[in-house]
Amino acid sequence: MIRFPRQSEAIMTRIQHLLAGAAIALTVGLAASPSMAGRDRFVVDLVNEPSSLDPQVQWNPDSYYVYRNIFDNLVTRDDKGALAPEIATAWKQVSDTEMEFTIRDDVTFHDGKKLTPEDVVFSVKRITDPKFGSPQLGQFNKITDAVATGPNTVKLVTDGAYPALLAQLVKLSIVPKHVVEAVGKDAFNAKPVGSGPYVFADWSRGVAVTLKRNDKYWGKKAPFPEVAFRAVPDASTRVANLQAGSSDLGVSLDSDLAAQIKSSPKAKPLSVLTERVAYLRLNPSKPPFDKGDIRRAVAMAIDKEALVQGILGGYDKAVPEMLTPAHFGWVEGVEAPAFDPKKAKQIVEAAGPAGQQEIELSTAPVFDQRIVQAVQQMLADVGLNVKINMSDMASYLKRAQSGPESTPALSYGRWSCACQDADGVLFPLMHNSSGWSAYRNTTTDKLLEAARATLNQDNRMAAYKQVHEIIAKEVPLIPLYQSAIIYGAAKPLVWQPTPNESMFLNRMDWKE
Amino acid sequence: MAGFLARRLAQALVTIFGVATLIFFLQRLTGDPTYLLVPETATPADIDAMRRSLGFDRPLVVQYASFLADLLRFDLGRSVIQNAPVTTIIASRVPYTLALAAGALLVACGIGIPVGIAMALWRDSVFAKALSGLVLAAQSLPTFWSGILLILVFAVTLGWLPPSATGGISHLVLPSVALGLLSMATFARITRTALLDELSRDYVRTARARGVLPGRLLGRHLARNAAIPVITVAALEISNLLAGAVIVETVFAWPGLGQVTVQSILARDFLVVQGVVLLGAFVTVALNLAADILYSVVDPRIRLTGARA
Repeated sequence: MIRFPRQSEAIMTRIQHLLAGAAIALTVGLAASPSMAGRDRFVVDLVNEPSSLDPQVQWNPDSYYVYRNIFDNLVTRDDKGALAPEIATAWKQVSDTEMEFTIRDDVTFHDGKKLTPEDVVFSVKRITDPKFGSPQLGQFNKITDAVATGPNTVKLVTDGAYPALLAQLVKLSIVPKHVVEAVGKDAFNAKPVGSGPYVFADWSRGVAVTLKRNDKYWGKKAPFPEVAFRAVPDASTRVANLQAGSSDLGVSLDSDLAAQIKSSPKAKPLSVLTERVAYLRLNPSKPPFDKGDIRRAVAMAIDKEALVQGILGGYDKAVPEMLTPAHFGWVEGVEAPAFDPKKAKQIVEAAGPAGQQEIELSTAPVFDQRIVQAVQQMLADVGLNVKINMSDMASYLKRAQSGPESTPALSYGRWSCACQDADGVLFPLMHNSSGWSAYRNTTTDKLLEAARATLNQDNRMAAYKQVHEIIAKEVPLIPLYQSAIIYGAAKPLVWQPTPNESMFLNRMDWKE
Repeated sequence: MAGFLARRLAQALVTIFGVATLIFFLQRLTGDPTYLLVPETATPADIDAMRRSLGFDRPLVVQYASFLADLLRFDLGRSVIQNAPVTTIIASRVPYTLALAAGALLVACGIGIPVGIAMALWRDSVFAKALSGLVLAAQSLPTFWSGILLILVFAVTLGWLPPSATGGISHLVLPSVALGLLSMATFARITRTALLDELSRDYVRTARARGVLPGRLLGRHLARNAAIPVITVAALEISNLLAGAVIVETVFAWPGLGQVTVQSILARDFLVVQGVVLLGAFVTVALNLAADILYSVVDPRIRLTGARA
């Protein structure tokens, strides 16, 4: 037995007091909350916590997974991807630049006040006000005015004909005018009030956002009385949580983790092809890509099936055009250059020294580096000299949007406009007015402008078909595959994930 | 004592000002966060408008001046990425970081010091060699691996403990062990070295010759003399535990400062990173001061006069 002398005893007493204090702090800091998951308390593991619960501010999956359950949108998409009524029950094109919406009259906000056309007008004006500074401004700034035209109608006016209007309005959440005006931006973000299937209950920063079911919801009610969204940055931990039964749904898994879940008695993978397209972008103003033949050789050197089946586990799907079947503007039967490494090699050899020039392949850590490395290898196999340049996301984005001068010769990326319309993909990537475009072709510019300016769907389709064919021939872009998104879910969960990466809790079911 | 404190306080202020300046400019070198905020479809004009509304279009010197002015008022600003005041964000994370550091320190000292004592008292024995092998192993395990292994064994397979997140003391066990094992090795080695050092001293031989029993020798003579280096290491380790918990916090989804720091760096959330770094500088300075004061408590021969401060 060790005896402590007097002075040490005094120190020990002090240390004991300290420890006792720490223990109290611990119990207070870690106020116990139930960690069980299941039907009564549905637990969703996100990657990070939401940046914002105000639907008109930040715009990223971790935020909208949560707030789209608190708020209703003007229109929505059903599980098959077709536009469907939500707050607007019907809409008609009044003129080329005006669309009138009929607003549901049986919707109340969580504070009991009725949702009126004034709230719709307010929501539109708020998000399109440049002073408000919404990152989503670019998605809605074609809307120049919103007017309540009757007790249950709202008219939206656009700057010219705007065919993608409805596709964008899928993301327009309706916020209550009286609450936002009374409490202001910050307080509204901290304690949002919507009209959706869930009511905001609590946001414990860094830990979880808790929602309670809105039992007075006008539409389909959700199966879970309470839902917690937690931040779990590590994908392996999200899988472990599912396997241990401490969560019910985890986002953003890869095919290896999906395979791991398949063998678990408690969980299963759920996946869907999204509207996100993985692509390579070539800068035709930078050698060796100033030569069309070399660009075509790159397209012929890439084995898309090998990427999809060999690396990604078969969840994703190779595409011949820079869209997915989930988009308006998808054309069946577009022919992209076929995989033909022999011919690609001949072209590169025939180009002589031009074919040996170093090609920078720009990428960022968020992308799947296995794909980037496979692309490098495939291009090396046909004799091209590709060097991967990985930079952080902000720098990658800055360079990617810097125009022909400083856009890297080759870059890997994944594109989603979250609008399922060709205008949100092809216009920014191809039109000369966009920072993302390093391609200069007046024919495609005109086609893209025409497709944007008409409401005639046949004319739009015809224009996009031509654009797809020019891309396949001129190769400013190489569409690779339609990205899948893989979720891990508790076995009893019945849910069909959607291409636009939404997570509507009231479309889920629970079957033990 | 008063002179010592005044001098150290002045040093601390200079240090913190230096850290503030450094972190401000270092971060601005890394680029513009605006691109991360807007959707892909934003036009160059949209991006410019966003940049203006965030204030990132102002000259760097102006941004720096306003940062310092706010700092003097203890205002760390408002995160445009997380849409909340930086102090709120940091304050919500501090209890978790403290809890994890305390848990890890408990594991580290609770195992490390006894192991170190055993390794010193029975040095050259097979037992001590086995212990030192274990200590080496514990120190060599990367936490992202040992963490996930702990989760798989104790949460998924055995189901004894929750795999991650917060909710009660049981949630703290696995991350504390994962984090504490690293520091445990440091404590064991320092304790062993310090004790061996003392064991070879004359007073120990004299005490033994007087027939002092080993337990009393350890408690009354050795422990206090060997404590000085252990306290120094403890102060350093606490700042390590506060800062080095990044990976453990990520693996265990533990909402501490490390996790929010990594997220903020990736998102270019300048103001939050600044806040965390300043807090870190402050804690390090304060802990070193505390260690100095503690020396004088343990060893009355050390006087805090400020002469050599």
